Amino acid sequence: MRVPTAGSAPPRIMVVRCPPLCPTQPPGPDTNPAGPQAARLFERVIAVVTGFCPNVEVTEPGVCAFGARGPARYFGGEAVLASKIIAAVAELGVESRVGVADGMFAAQLAASSAGPVGPFLVIPPGGTAGFLATQPVSVLADQGLADQNMATRDLAGLLKRLGLLTLGDLAALPVSDVASRFGDTGEAVHRLARGLDSRPLAARPPDRDLSVAREFDPPEPLAEPVVFAAKTLAEQLHAGLAARGLTCVRVQVQVTWADGGESSRLWRHDGLLAAAGVADRVRWQLDGWRAGPGDGHYAQGGIGVLRLVPDQVVRATGHQLALWGEAVISDRVARAAMRVQAMLGHEAVLRPVTGGGRNVSEQVSHVPFGEKREPSLAVGPPWPGRIMGAAPGVVYPAAREAEVADDAGQLVTVTGRCVLSAAPARLVIGREPPRRITAWAGPWPLSERWWDPGAARRRARFQLATDDGRAWLAVVRGSRWLIEAGYF
Amino acid sequence: MPAVSAFGPPAVPGTETLPVLTALCDLLPRGGLARGSVLAVPEFGLLCLALAAGASAAGAWCGIAGIPEAGLAAAVGVGLDAERTLLVPDPGPAWPQVVASLLDGCELVLLRPPATAPVQVRRRLEAVLRRAGGVLLVAGDWPGAQVCLRVITQRWTGLGDGYGRVRACCAEVAADGRGEAALTRTRWLWLPGEDGGVAVADPVDIPVPGTPAAGTPTALRAVSAG
Repeated sequence: MRVPTAGSAPPRIMVVRCPPLCPTQPPGPDTNPAGPQAARLFERVIAVVTGFCPNVEVTEPGVCAFGARGPARYFGGEAVLASKIIAAVAELGVESRVGVADGMFAAQLAASSAGPVGPFLVIPPGGTAGFLATQPVSVLADQGLADQNMATRDLAGLLKRLGLLTLGDLAALPVSDVASRFGDTGEAVHRLARGLDSRPLAARPPDRDLSVAREFDPPEPLAEPVVFAAKTLAEQLHAGLAARGLTCVRVQVQVTWADGGESSRLWRHDGLLAAAGVADRVRWQLDGWRAGPGDGHYAQGGIGVLRLVPDQVVRATGHQLALWGEAVISDRVARAAMRVQAMLGHEAVLRPVTGGGRNVSEQVSHVPFGEKREPSLAVGPPWPGRIMGAAPGVVYPAAREAEVADDAGQLVTVTGRCVLSAAPARLVIGREPPRRITAWAGPWPLSERWWDPGAARRRARFQLATDDGRAWLAVVRGSRWLIEAGYF
Repeated sequence: MPAVSAFGPPAVPGTETLPVLTALCDLLPRGGLARGSVLAVPEFGLLCLALAAGASAAGAWCGIAGIPEAGLAAAVGVGLDAERTLLVPDPGPAWPQVVASLLDGCELVLLRPPATAPVQVRRRLEAVLRRAGGVLLVAGDWPGAQVCLRVITQRWTGLGDGYGRVRACCAEVAADGRGEAALTRTRWLWLPGEDGGVAVADPVDIPVPGTPAAGTPTALRAVSAG
């Protein structure tokens, strides 16, 4: 491990970013929306990058980084190295962007702002402060510090309202003032704005081996039990570090396979890696190492040993919970939820988050227990066209087939201009006995995402009250009647 | 003073019952959900969510198992706290173990069993329930439930003949059961009212059978904006 000393030149970092393999929403790599297939493809990208520099670390799905000084000298310059890497990654059919700068944060920013001018952006040595000074403060919300995303994003919004529009404005403030006003997060953000890492590295590596390992005998062919074990391992790792007043920003995931081979990968995180965060990274990594598509088995036969090695430890400064608005999950609840996850899988225990959206099924997102609760659609926009009034108590995960007929028994149809063929009088849901419609309202047309042929949806919505006292939310989509929700 | 878990949420431990919404107090023999007891509602609906809402709002964790179609927006409307809710939409064939695990962490578990539970499974879960001091709310059949609640009639207001929107529901809810709950109690409730919450309905609001739901469907009628 390289330990920077005071006065030494800041490290040159090269970041390779594959936008198609990144989560599309910048904040929160806690979910892996690109899925296991993207994880496998990214694993091949890393293999290509490793051909240029052996010591590659992954910062989030789709983004990896390495120290650029040595490889750049060998390949004849940073720009040459960057274009070689882009060409090699392009052979896999993956588009990539490369950024080079002093320090991880600036390099990540350079990689994400590369694009319009060319596939790579090299910030010359010493130019990082100038490059950062022109960036808007909103980049803080998108980049790095993902663990403290909520706090950082709130802070980015606040700084903007205070009139600090660029990172240069923020960096110009005295650090003591920023720290006393905005606390730990403010200090970390100020360090980033000045082109430093968010936290100073601990001066020397820990004096003893703090890695933790778990053996699987017989070797485990499936990922899920290993991920579950990784949670417990991560907690052990943290307990060991915490006993020494340390925490880590980089963790190495090592796997010994049943055939004796070993694989390892460094995962980096500019925030602090909590136990659930470590388990997430193990899951992504295991997805990446899987042989084939679907539930493919591991080519190496199974997982024999999983080892987590803390790398780059920093002093733990503690984490202060917000005064309001953060539910504390007691050990008892967490244990119960994790036990169910161990039985049924990580995605089986969900926590609901209410958000925005026009359709009732979109207004509540379900987030697996242990991940960050964020709605998939923001509450903020007004969502014109959403159905007002009472919310339905029953929202079917998949809309149910139905038939709506008029008094004469003819199927009620809706034209493209929302004209009804007749007043609805009878409702049959699936194979249930028919219900008489006592009152109804609609049609309310909804045309969403008409600019995107793949996601475009056109439908007319109705509310129907039936003689059993219930009410239903029905939609007509392509001349088919569907029941989306029930009011009862 | 009964022994209570040291980790329980602030508003709930140390009591014999979990709180319910004030509008529902009259329906339950002790004015709340007795710890260690099973309540049954024949079919999943807003009534189940309303029964869970009071305890959740008071700080209890609530698990919802086997009900993928639970409308959480409506549940939040009646008072359920989404922060303290765990969903297990598909507990699978091992659902008794899943429910037992959930009962270790949550004060209240809302469950729809895949089928009527065999008697041994019910006995085992009831034993877990008494030990953990939680409440099991079953949306379905559960022979031996202490209290059974059901919606006898309900009517939604706000919909007309081609106009309006669903606004509120006036429902007659009945509760009976065993022991102290043997006497049948019925109440008219707004489930939910116009504000999304649950309230006791005034006698004047109670719909008379045979009349249309909302006004008379004449050709035109005067409406006010908003």
